[in-house]
Amino acid sequence: MNAQTILVVEDEILIRFILADTLRDIGYQVLEAANGDEGLDILSSGQVVDIMVTDVRMPGNIDGMELTRRAKSMVPGRPVIVCSAHLFRPESYPADEFFSKPYSVDALADVIARLIGDPWQKSSQTHSA
Amino acid sequence: MAEELPDPQCLIVADADVLVRNALSEYLRHCGYKVFEAATSDEVMVALEEGAAKIDALLADAELSGKFNAFELRLWVRDHHPDVEIVLAGNIDSAAKAAGHLCDEGPHLQRPYDPESVAAHIKRLLAATRRQTS
Repeated sequence: MNAQTILVVEDEILIRFILADTLRDIGYQVLEAANGDEGLDILSSGQVVDIMVTDVRMPGNIDGMELTRRAKSMVPGRPVIVCSAHLFRPESYPADEFFSKPYSVDALADVIARLIGDPWQKSSQTHSA
Repeated sequence: MAEELPDPQCLIVADADVLVRNALSEYLRHCGYKVFEAATSDEVMVALEEGAAKIDALLADAELSGKFNAFELRLWVRDHHPDVEIVLAGNIDSAAKAAGHLCDEGPHLQRPYDPESVAAHIKRLLAATRRQTS
């Protein structure tokens, strides 16, 4: 059985590495994207993604808000966590959880486990585009 | 007394194509390496200058973009981080082969699949993405 897969979309490489490395140490499979365009490439590739964690402001054609909308349109039941330096959360935002930066990686990991279970717990729905 | 495991060797995989980068990195992690994934030469430089881990090698796409191209980056790394082994790869097959060599030399002798399978897997992912976005 394969571990649950998290897509991390973050343009700051050290933040992306620390988050991805911590989640891998817990036992999750992690796919990394450096911006929204890359995140969309991964979501479109057919690889299984059980949950997405995304920054909002990133360089490129697609920011985190647009990426979240597209991810939800592909697989509505797949959870999305948005991380942002902005403290307010727009009412129309389609994300499942919202984390203000700076955040605790451990707290984020707890929320991920609440949304998709521990690394080896597969839900009945497979989340791939 | 329990045997202390050595710290894993650290690599940077740098490629502008996220699917290539992800697949190569995952292959190298299966071989026992800790891997930084970098999308540009700028990210490589940040990882080398500010990352806490000691980097042993850099596997980079020859067409990497950013502040420096791949060849300029190689010169910069050679000048500023001479202990880092640098491998430039011009295409998916040579990148997969280079990753295979790193696995051969790496912390674990056993690797989960051969470089040709890695290259084939990457090409399938790229084809799937092109179909989705066309």
